Amino acid sequence: MESGNPLLDDYVLSLTGVRRPRVCFLGTASGDADDYVVRFYREFAGARAEASHLSLFKRRRGVTDVRRHLLEQDLIYVGGGSLVSLLGVWRGHGIDSILRDAWEAGIVLCGLSAGALCWFSHALTAYYAAPDVVGALAFLPWSFTAHYNSEPARREEYHRLLDRGLPSGYAADDGAALHFVGRGLHRVVSSRPDVAGYALRRGPHGVIEDRLEAQYLGDAASPALVAA
Amino acid sequence: MPTPRIVALGGHEFRSRPSELAVVRHLLELSGAERPRVCLLPTASGDPQEGITSFHAVLEGFGCEASHISLFRLEREWVDLREHLLAQDLIYVAGGSMLNLIAIWRAHGLDRVLSEAWRSGVLLAGQSAGAMCWFELGITASAGRPRVAAGLGLLPGSLSVHYGRDPQRRAALLEEVAGGLPGGYALDDGAGLLFEGPRPVEAFSGTRGARVVRIEHDGGRAVECELHPVPLRQEIQAVDPAIAERRALRRMHAGAR
Repeated sequence: MESGNPLLDDYVLSLTGVRRPRVCFLGTASGDADDYVVRFYREFAGARAEASHLSLFKRRRGVTDVRRHLLEQDLIYVGGGSLVSLLGVWRGHGIDSILRDAWEAGIVLCGLSAGALCWFSHALTAYYAAPDVVGALAFLPWSFTAHYNSEPARREEYHRLLDRGLPSGYAADDGAALHFVGRGLHRVVSSRPDVAGYALRRGPHGVIEDRLEAQYLGDAASPALVAA
Repeated sequence: MPTPRIVALGGHEFRSRPSELAVVRHLLELSGAERPRVCLLPTASGDPQEGITSFHAVLEGFGCEASHISLFRLEREWVDLREHLLAQDLIYVAGGSMLNLIAIWRAHGLDRVLSEAWRSGVLLAGQSAGAMCWFELGITASAGRPRVAAGLGLLPGSLSVHYGRDPQRRAALLEEVAGGLPGGYALDDGAGLLFEGPRPVEAFSGTRGARVVRIEHDGGRAVECELHPVPLRQEIQAVDPAIAERRALRRMHAGAR
């Protein structure tokens, strides 16, 4: 949901293989902020998708059978915000296990920022006070951090943590998306021409960071897809 | 050793109605500080901006040092949770989803910090989910139909809120208590109950007729016994000069048309 740039949204919608996919928005990480939910509907409603949202703060209204609703979707879209709060609420409502079932059933899961971090086993969150590695859902057994280009302190911190034994993983610039099939990275795409993904691991002589060139989705004449 | 204290409110809003203000004034008096440091935790409703704004707008009129903590925006508005909360005279927990409140607090380690604040003499208060959270159990509607949810357990037994307004919740509570749920209290909107340690020491109401009900288990039945809350003094607020000016202007424009 980048403002004025639908490329990544179009990409995730295309992965469903359905002409008008059912898409459910989970705005939990923002506390189900109304303006965020409205933005989702503005981006996804109409001919593009059959949009719905699940508010875990206002469950008296809205979806009653959460499990059934989520398992009926083609795509589940998780918004950004606070990862720790997101995980707390999901675990409190049992959403974590429903999402695992959804993932295993082939429903496309996607999200940005906290909504991207949540799928990994070791999520590096934004740095307030001591940098934090949060144990997230671990569908993907890697470490991960977002906003790699917009918050330069993250690179240094990520390298330091890898050096101390954090499992290998990935980073993504703003505007870049890592597309996993199963647990493996399948493709890196982007909504801007100059951004990338990164693969990081500890080598014998320090941390190795590989830049993963992204396929810019806005350029129809772009060369072959870059697979990782 | 300071006495750990909690005020449970059955329903309360930060509005300029005299009944709501009377409750705020009472909490500030109970805090015992001349210029109380008051922190709002709006976690249970996902930290909505409107709620935070109305809290600050109301407290501005009372000469306190007001702050809030948004656990959803900590990454942008960083505070040291423990340090900040332990430095307060009063911590006010707003309502919303009790299930989410407890889950989020635990994820951030706030359950431990709040219990420490309580033991160190910070007055803890809250309304609706923000009141039930201190008890062993509450009757929550967070997941749809009213049901029992576990709180932090600083206070024994159960609490139910919005008692007169929400018949479903009342029915759920009475049924649960009859079936073996620990007894406790039920509060109407506008009513409050002060606890020192685990003991209730004062029932009060900011709204005429707001009830404080003790729910007891008696031979397979739930029995309701009404307490007699002390009515809080309601002061007629002097109208804010800015509001008076705006009203005068509006009258003038209406007259000119």
